[in-house]
Amino acid sequence: MREKILYLLGVAAFVILARDIFVIARFPPEASQGNAFKIIFFHLPAWAAAFTAVGASLVTSILFLVTKNFQYDAIAVASTEVGVAFLTVGLVTGSLWARPIWGIWWTWDERLTTTLVLWLLYLGYLMLRRAIEEPTQRATFAAVVSIFAFIGVPIDYFSIRWWRTQHPAPVFFSSTGSFPHDWSVVMGWNILAMLMLATVIVAVRLEQEQSQRELDSLRRLAHAF
Amino acid sequence: MHWLSPLLLLAQVSADDITREMGRLQRNFEFLSYGFAAAWIVLAIYVLMMVGRERRLKREISSLKAMLEERQKK
Repeated sequence: MREKILYLLGVAAFVILARDIFVIARFPPEASQGNAFKIIFFHLPAWAAAFTAVGASLVTSILFLVTKNFQYDAIAVASTEVGVAFLTVGLVTGSLWARPIWGIWWTWDERLTTTLVLWLLYLGYLMLRRAIEEPTQRATFAAVVSIFAFIGVPIDYFSIRWWRTQHPAPVFFSSTGSFPHDWSVVMGWNILAMLMLATVIVAVRLEQEQSQRELDSLRRLAHAF
Repeated sequence: MHWLSPLLLLAQVSADDITREMGRLQRNFEFLSYGFAAAWIVLAIYVLMMVGRERRLKREISSLKAMLEERQKK
């Protein structure tokens, strides 16, 4: 039953995202940026999925430190890994937008720099897990790093409000930008689809983490013989 | 005479104007397609990495189980 729900969720997300490509292509080009502006339809949903995933990692890391239940650690690692994948999508699509609009692939502006630092912090989290063998120590250290890394999320999110950045001002939840209604509807669908996709991938990754634990216990058993 | 105005305006539009306008509308279309493709490619690579990991885990679990069963028989 669980697998069927996940499968349906994945297919629905895929259908929505594929359909929206055609819908977005038909939208008129933005007045000053042309078609490149429409990258935002994948860029922003990727960030929404990434921040939700690392938010889930923060919550489960705290829960692990409180309860020492390894199920929380498994959710934390699964959601962090998926978060890093979506952060990568956000960084790559942002860079592809910057090239025609700014004429450069990258600049050390506050938003971009804090995003890169955030990406490196979560990459560090995943590398740390590979470096520690002992499960309890690995989960504890990783949980602390996850909590520490999350400090970067609000800094990254508010960087375009706190500082005068080269990155465009926020379009949503602010008085500085506006988005046509039909564009907002498609953006909403894309955010929903990306969140659905992230949920499916986290669930699949979580199963792998459980298999990894089974493998670890089998290895310990094999050594004991 | 006001009905003549659009026709008069249209007559003043040159082929260059039309090309320029089409170019403006199509501007940055290639970067839009790169952006969409990149989003899908990054996620596809990650999913393929997960599939590879899944296969490795299953293979290792089954081989370890077989080894342990063999040892228990002895």
